[in-house]
Amino acid sequence: MKIAPILFAVAMLAGSAQAADLTVAVRGPDGKPIPDAVVTVYPNGQPTKGPIKFDWPYRVAQQNIQFTPFVLIVPAGAEVSFPNLDKVRHHVYSFSAGNKFELKLYGHEESRKVRLPAVGVAAIGCNIHDQMVGFIKVVDTAYAAKSDANGVAVIHDLPDGPVVAKVWHPYLRAPKNEKTLAVAAVRGAARETATIELRPGGR
Amino acid sequence: MFRRLQTKLTVLYAGLFALALSLVAVSVYLTIANNAQQQVRRELTATGTVFDSVWALRTQRLRDGADLLARDFGFRAAVATRDAPTVESAVTNLRQRMGLDLAFLVGVDGDVVGVDPAKVDIDKLWSALDHEERAQGVFIVDGAPYQLISAPVMSPNLTGWIVFGARLDDREMTALERLSAIRLDAQVFDRRGETWVTTDKTADTGALGAVVATAMRQATAEPARLRTATGDSLVLVKRLMTLDGQTPAALVLRYPMALALAPYQPLMAAVIIAGLIGAALVVAASWALSRDIARPITALEAAARRLRHGEAAHVDVRSSDEIGRLSDSFNLMAAEIREREVRITELALRDAETGLPNHLAMEREIEARMARLAPGQQVVVAALGLDRFTVLRSAIGYALFTQLVREIGARIQVLDPEAVVGRLTTSTLCVISRLTALTDEVVPVVERALVDLAAPVRLGNELVDVHMSNGLAAAEAGSLDAPRLIEQAMIALDQARACGRKVAIFDPVAYGDPAGNLSLMSEMLQGVATGALFLHHQPKLDLRTGAITGVEALVRWNHPARGLLRPDLFVGMAEETGHIRALTDCVIDRAILDQRALRDLGHDLTISINISGRLIDDAEFADRAIEKIAASGARFCFEITETAVIGNPDVALGVLAKLNAAGIPVSIDDYGSGLSSLAYLKQINADELKIDKAFVLSLENDAKDALLVKSTIDLAHSLGLKVTAEGVESREALAMLQMMGCDLAQGYHIAKPMALEALVAFLGEQRLAETSAPAKARRRAR
Repeated sequence: MKIAPILFAVAMLAGSAQAADLTVAVRGPDGKPIPDAVVTVYPNGQPTKGPIKFDWPYRVAQQNIQFTPFVLIVPAGAEVSFPNLDKVRHHVYSFSAGNKFELKLYGHEESRKVRLPAVGVAAIGCNIHDQMVGFIKVVDTAYAAKSDANGVAVIHDLPDGPVVAKVWHPYLRAPKNEKTLAVAAVRGAARETATIELRPGGR
Repeated sequence: MFRRLQTKLTVLYAGLFALALSLVAVSVYLTIANNAQQQVRRELTATGTVFDSVWALRTQRLRDGADLLARDFGFRAAVATRDAPTVESAVTNLRQRMGLDLAFLVGVDGDVVGVDPAKVDIDKLWSALDHEERAQGVFIVDGAPYQLISAPVMSPNLTGWIVFGARLDDREMTALERLSAIRLDAQVFDRRGETWVTTDKTADTGALGAVVATAMRQATAEPARLRTATGDSLVLVKRLMTLDGQTPAALVLRYPMALALAPYQPLMAAVIIAGLIGAALVVAASWALSRDIARPITALEAAARRLRHGEAAHVDVRSSDEIGRLSDSFNLMAAEIREREVRITELALRDAETGLPNHLAMEREIEARMARLAPGQQVVVAALGLDRFTVLRSAIGYALFTQLVREIGARIQVLDPEAVVGRLTTSTLCVISRLTALTDEVVPVVERALVDLAAPVRLGNELVDVHMSNGLAAAEAGSLDAPRLIEQAMIALDQARACGRKVAIFDPVAYGDPAGNLSLMSEMLQGVATGALFLHHQPKLDLRTGAITGVEALVRWNHPARGLLRPDLFVGMAEETGHIRALTDCVIDRAILDQRALRDLGHDLTISINISGRLIDDAEFADRAIEKIAASGARFCFEITETAVIGNPDVALGVLAKLNAAGIPVSIDDYGSGLSSLAYLKQINADELKIDKAFVLSLENDAKDALLVKSTIDLAHSLGLKVTAEGVESREALAMLQMMGCDLAQGYHIAKPMALEALVAFLGEQRLAETSAPAKARRRAR
């Protein structure tokens, strides 16, 4: 419901295409930086038309019985590789709607590729190792970034104008683990702070 | 409090035993109750611990199952892909396989699969599950408490929770109860608002709920005590972890004390029964023991009472203890007392000298016989007196005299074996004969018996003559008491002696009424005043002149009730009672009047008056009599007995001298009947001597008496005394006396004592005769 006036405002500001960086500092309620939070910005509230390409590899490695990275952002339809760097075998799966897949046991130095067509989240796990959890955020906007160890996510070359910005984290205590940021428009470089609350225990 | 020693001892022993027993029983009960409580507490605590383990085990089992399911790839896939039918079938499958009461899935989005959403407070459940990973605890599902455990379904992120539940129902509680060593009662309470409720409702759930509330508030881990109408119980409240932390629940383990005490009930019953048996034994034993103690004492008490009443008292106690010795001593004492009593009685009833029954014994015998008498029968008592016993006793000595009395008693016994013989006085024996009536026919019988009795008695080498007189008296039962009957017999004896007979029956007329002696005297004094006493005069004949020269005045009493009384009925009594002076005064007064009357008729007579020996030494009496006689000009002669002087010779002789000086002649009366006559004749300054009639009566037949009279007359004449002979009853005696030179004669042959009128008439005749010859006078006097 609240989206409608925002979209209207974005539409009013369309046209002026000045590019700037949006830096979002993701903090917990205690002020500590939260890494692995995904900030997505929709200029004018619209998804990006045309192919999207991020400058990081679409790859989730299995190393030390962990998914690396923990959170990966890919555009919809991207093909993600799952190289196994461990000496043990893994059985990677995702039950997430639209991005369901299952990579049955594969060994060391083997790599599998999976195309993730649906915008959303693919929660990935290993059927052998319960502690292995990873998330692939499948986006339909080119303006997405993941917060680093300092909790800072920088979105480059964001055109001025009204935006819809959201922050997502796998454990964010909110419906769909996503929260819309308070920023309504971007004019030049901007800094925003997103304060989010995570579920304890990483669920 | 208790009148009987036995009761006292029994109650004391039984009471002490009962007290001791009660203490034992109470301490046993307290120990048992305490032990039982301790045991129940331990057991409850142990059961609580066991319950904890059971709870943990079950939780683990449920959790294991939940975890297993939550990690099942297929299940996770089904959950993640929201394949509800598959999820539900999987949940149901596992529920059935594990025998679970409840199994369902709660999605992260709040969807519930496997349970009716209406039965579960989804919001509360979701927030509980969400609040804590792997939440577990008690949760109310469809109004009943369930133990729920949850496990997250990760695929790989959290997609929901699988929840398993075990209903905490009776079955579950029963299973838990079975685990306990004791039969406790397990219930789950949960709080609804402010009250604690349970599904397993009983009568005291309310009270139990209060205990639970208190325990939960205080968070105690110790069992609490619950007292309700159904009995005591110990209650352990275990806090149960709840799923949401908001609705506390508690497991309540409860154990009734009655159950804890139940195993001890046989012991308690045994103690009580043993106690009762013991008490009964103690009562019986102490009853028996105290009876053994009390019986001799009771016997002693009864014996002492009998002894006090003079009955035979013997206590039969055969024990060697103190009571036995006491009884022996008592018996000995009682026997001695009896013996002494018998001896005393014997002494009291026996004459010490002769061994014969004494006066008292005879009285008792009479009383005993009187009690046995048939109507109309009498008890006949004889008083047997030894005549002249003083003489006899002096002659033979006391010892032989006693022997003599004993011998006579023995003779009576021989004559009449049924008679009871006793000794009344020194010389008098008493015989209670078998006769039941006393008539005049008895007298000759007794006289004959007396002859036998009076046979000479051989005492040592000597034969002793005995003379006896016998007085008889009889009485019907109730008419006389024993002492009076004996007295009458004694009086009869006196009467017999008085009239010179061997045997006499008591003559009540002659004796008068001894009971009225004192009244007789007062009546006599009245008679003195009223003139009921008067004089009879017996003329004295002058043997030389043949004329009547004097009279002897003899007092008579015309008693208003008894008629004319002879002087021997009241004179002796007057002497005894001291009224003789008044009587003699009266006689003197009368004689003065009579003499004056005779003088007026021309008869000048000397009147002889008997003066009692009691008055001879009464100087005052003599003075007054002399004065009276002098004043009236009377001519009297005082007759006194020779023995009268013996009492107080100095005073008596003084009085006699006074009388002489006053010109009153003194006559010695009854001369010859007493002793020491001659010595007194010399001393007494008398004018006349009256020879006792005993000599005069036998004058004609007894030459010795005639000689005695003759010599007495001569003796008197030579001493200057006139001689009067008494008892002249025949013409021959009168003639002999005249020949012997006797001066005066007195007797029935001359004239009987007569009243004044008769005397005047007699004197008139006599005067006419004086003119004729003396012989003629003598004839007329006859």
